[in-house]
Amino acid sequence: MNCEEATKLMDGYLDSELDPITSQKIEQHLRECPKCDQAYKIHGSLIRVIGNATPYYKVPAELREQIQSSLRDAVGAKDKGGSGQPGQLSVPRPQGERRPVLSQVPWNWLALAATIMLGALITAVFLPRMRPPNADQFLATQLIASHVRSLMANHLMDVPSSDQHTVKPWLDAKLDFAAPVADLSSQGFPLIGGRLDYLNNHSVAALVYQKRKHFINLFIWPTTPEDSTAQTMVEREGYHLVHWSDGDFTYWAVSDVNPSDLQNFKQLFEQQTARH
Amino acid sequence: MALPLKAAHASETEDFESSRNIVKFTVFKGSDQNHAQKAELASFEEALLPHLDAAHNLARWLLRNEQDAEDVVQEAYLRAFKSFGGFHGSNGRAWLLTIVRNTSYTLLKKNRAADLITTFDDEIHAPGHESVSPATILENSEDAELIREAMDELPAEFREILVLRHQEGLSYKEIADIAQIPPGTVMSRLARARGKLKEYLAARIGKEK
Ligand SMILES: [Zn+2]
Repeated sequence: MNCEEATKLMDGYLDSELDPITSQKIEQHLRECPKCDQAYKIHGSLIRVIGNATPYYKVPAELREQIQSSLRDAVGAKDKGGSGQPGQLSVPRPQGERRPVLSQVPWNWLALAATIMLGALITAVFLPRMRPPNADQFLATQLIASHVRSLMANHLMDVPSSDQHTVKPWLDAKLDFAAPVADLSSQGFPLIGGRLDYLNNHSVAALVYQKRKHFINLFIWPTTPEDSTAQTMVEREGYHLVHWSDGDFTYWAVSDVNPSDLQNFKQLFEQQTARH
Repeated sequence: MALPLKAAHASETEDFESSRNIVKFTVFKGSDQNHAQKAELASFEEALLPHLDAAHNLARWLLRNEQDAEDVVQEAYLRAFKSFGGFHGSNGRAWLLTIVRNTSYTLLKKNRAADLITTFDDEIHAPGHESVSPATILENSEDAELIREAMDELPAEFREILVLRHQEGLSYKEIADIAQIPPGTVMSRLARARGKLKEYLAARIGKEK
């Protein structure tokens, strides 16, 4: 490593955000280069002192009370059928939340309900309650964003490996759950790696598979009561998202491969992991 | 709001009819809903009220004005409550800060577009501070008022990343999520923000001498 590279990576090193190999290379450079070592020490102590001395604006007690009462008002307004204004500020109310009367339900909510309900019928799973449509849209947006970001930011994989026995332990060590990993290379979907990702600010496993020149990101997390258990396929912004659940885990596969390939991928993955 | 959603196993007409019936079937009954919402409020408060200080601090730094910060925090909490059903996870703070950040930018863009543009301040870039040594900066770097002035001169994207890292201690990945930038950009933006902050501090210290 030279001085230029060391300088570029210094903030990441200071914040302990570099991978172990790069960290070792920096450490070696700092041992050998007094100039960079000096710069590192000065930068480090300045950042620490500045960070500690930056004023922290705690919330005023009145605002805390005001927010709590606005939240209660918001619940009260919902009780009255959703026509009241929540709190003192006019927060745009998503249309989908006006649910008591069918005719008021926007068409896309119906479409979404159809998707969820149809899935529920097919899988014969009883859906405990309707999920707000915004949650699904928000999730779909985040899934696509994560998929695109993983391709663009050159951060497709944290652990590039086609060996499920390498990928799985790596993920298990990083997450508080043990995500199933399957090798589908003989079926035309080689595993190329794994990644730790965040969705809704929640750690999830991302497995990366390849189909010819295309990539499939498979996001996995433990199923929560908020997760729909219905199978769905969504097309958005040129990407296809396939969702399923096996009771323990919720799966979302995102890719620009054609929908039948993605369905096929889903079935193969299910078959493989069911054996374990 | 319109987005193309497709049922995977669609055979359109009859399925739409049956789903229609189910939608009718799941229409809420009043008292169940009351109860569910109160329970939801309780779990919302438990998960997110502990992060009020973090929310207020970020909004205050982004807006540089107490009244705007308070408006944003209140609105952000109401927004968060409305989409709480879509939040599944343990990192309530990062989720909330994303909403606070987005709400702050909406207000910044609406009210003071100028704040979002990095201005070249002649006063700050006046010659002379090159002679301020790191040791001198270090001596003065515990001066909270000096830091506040220098921070407030920075563009919003720098103020935001410094608050998230220095004050909230968030990881690069959490910062990437909140600031909606690729994870690979966090380190370089943070380095530039720190560099600018040092430069502005040096300028202020140089001027006072
Ligand atoms: Zn060097």
